[in-house]
Amino acid sequence: MSSATLRRLERVLLMVPWLLEHPGATVSELAERFGGSPEEVLRDLDTLGYCGLPGYGGGDLVEVTVFGDRVTVRMADFFARPLALSVKEAVTLLLAARALAGVEALPEAGPLARAADKLERLLGADAAAGLTVELKAPGAEHLPAVREALDRGRVVHLAYRSESKAELTERDVEPWTITAHGGAWYLQGWCRLADGPRDFRLDRVRDLEVLAEPAPRAEHAPAPPVYRAKPGDPEVTLALAPQARWVAEWLVTDQVREHDTHLEVVFRAATLDWAARLVVSLAGQARVVGPEELAQRAAELARATRELHAP
Amino acid sequence: MDRLERLINLVIALRETRTPLATADIRERVAGYGQDDYEAFRRMFERDKADLRALGVPIETQALDPWGDRVGYRIDPERYDLPRIEFTANELAALSVAVEAAGLADRAGSGLRKLEVAAGQRLAGTPPPAVGVGLGAPHLEVLAEAQVARIPVRFAYRKPGEAAERRTVDPHALVHRRGRWYLVGDDHDRAARRAFRLDRIAGTVAFAGGPGAFEPADDAARVDAVVPETQPGEPQEAAVAAAPDVAWLVARAARGGGRARADGWTCYDVPVVDAERFVSWVLSFAPGVEVLTPAELRARVRTAAGALAGDGA
Repeated sequence: MSSATLRRLERVLLMVPWLLEHPGATVSELAERFGGSPEEVLRDLDTLGYCGLPGYGGGDLVEVTVFGDRVTVRMADFFARPLALSVKEAVTLLLAARALAGVEALPEAGPLARAADKLERLLGADAAAGLTVELKAPGAEHLPAVREALDRGRVVHLAYRSESKAELTERDVEPWTITAHGGAWYLQGWCRLADGPRDFRLDRVRDLEVLAEPAPRAEHAPAPPVYRAKPGDPEVTLALAPQARWVAEWLVTDQVREHDTHLEVVFRAATLDWAARLVVSLAGQARVVGPEELAQRAAELARATRELHAP
Repeated sequence: MDRLERLINLVIALRETRTPLATADIRERVAGYGQDDYEAFRRMFERDKADLRALGVPIETQALDPWGDRVGYRIDPERYDLPRIEFTANELAALSVAVEAAGLADRAGSGLRKLEVAAGQRLAGTPPPAVGVGLGAPHLEVLAEAQVARIPVRFAYRKPGEAAERRTVDPHALVHRRGRWYLVGDDHDRAARRAFRLDRIAGTVAFAGGPGAFEPADDAARVDAVVPETQPGEPQEAAVAAAPDVAWLVARAARGGGRARADGWTCYDVPVVDAERFVSWVLSFAPGVEVLTPAELRARVRTAAGALAGDGA
């Protein structure tokens, strides 16, 4: 299939309704708006001038006039409207609109909700009912401030509790982007305390202040905020009961072994403390296979919690 | 003749005809199809028809006689024209940010441009937004199309540690939750509703039937049963005390403000939707959060922690 021709056709079907509404548009403007070089646009307009209703006589052909660099199209009422959205196009737009309309902290949320309503009408409301995008995640209350810092290019000051070390730190961060990943919001940027790129989960940000100091813009989009094992990070093996299988999907695992009664996962943890709290929070649905030190730490945390809850 | 010219002429002819055009009419009347060899014409027309349909041009096939022996083709202008539901400049700008942020700009660009043209908007290029939600996923569009048009799909599905299996599914819903895409549908071979992670579908997704092949399922609630989520139920309330270093984290989950305690801990009222998840949440702070009331939840935490303590006490 000659996809180049189809792309040209797509462009013509889009360009003609625009030209009918905007007679006298310039060739360079058309090229910029609809893609392609001015030469390509002229070639397509030339072709269009040979098209029309069967009969192809004087009153049947599309009238294309190029005067200087200004273009006028007439006798093309059949192309007065753009082609209707394909299901794919409508669905893709609707997904994007619904996703961000749900993030109330964003200034676009209101217009997106209205746009989503219109897209549903285009698509048929029943059909659209089966598409659900849920980006609800804790920490969203910081989104407006982060967004402001990004839009104005300002450094932010964070009071942040890292999960791996379980301690609260204060740091200045040059923000690059806000990212939703794995059911959480992240601020990604250059951390001046760590002197390196870092990802901060917004639900672990206690306080966030936008400073007056300008921040340099990101040169390129950062990689997704996933944990990347560093040399020396401890390797951990857990046996997961069926109810805790989701952990295997949520972690970045090195190995997953299926057993009759459980799933064994091998992964690397940022710290053993973090892994111990994970094991405790799974409340018996995960058993430590190794290392022994992890089993001991988890047991210590459990004993302390039991004592705290003495009758 | 330029193929573009032939395609444009075909669209115009099919759109402007009152009665469906038989292939013979097309060959005779539409510029570009005047081949001597009927077979060559036929192949050319079939290819053009398929390509136009793939582009979204709604070419309909209609019977020309009561027996359906002869068919003709036409384009219904009502289905061709983008409906007059106009988008405001604000909405289009927001959509443009949204598709960028969702990582769908490549796939949504053509649709967005149609809406812009229809609205007569002259949008400046939007700078890349500083928000990313990464909704793009393999197979998403083809599954969305199948779901909307109610077309059964067939694909190979691979669970971890298992060989890929062929599945045939009526796609009822696509759900993005906790950062993942799931297809929720009725599995033909298992005769049951299942959820499939899109990133576990191997190879390609094929249509296994025509549009409208199954009835829509309006029991959206069952989606929650398949894709784990908060269980619906009567939320109750628990009073907890939080250690100073985690009090602010607990405050996030709390209803209303905290009450300071003499030992430096802070007390909060926290809604409990699902007891199991609540216990897990308390344990994740171990030992920084204490459940005060109700006694039953306090006992559950004690029992769970005791089982993990491993000293038999």
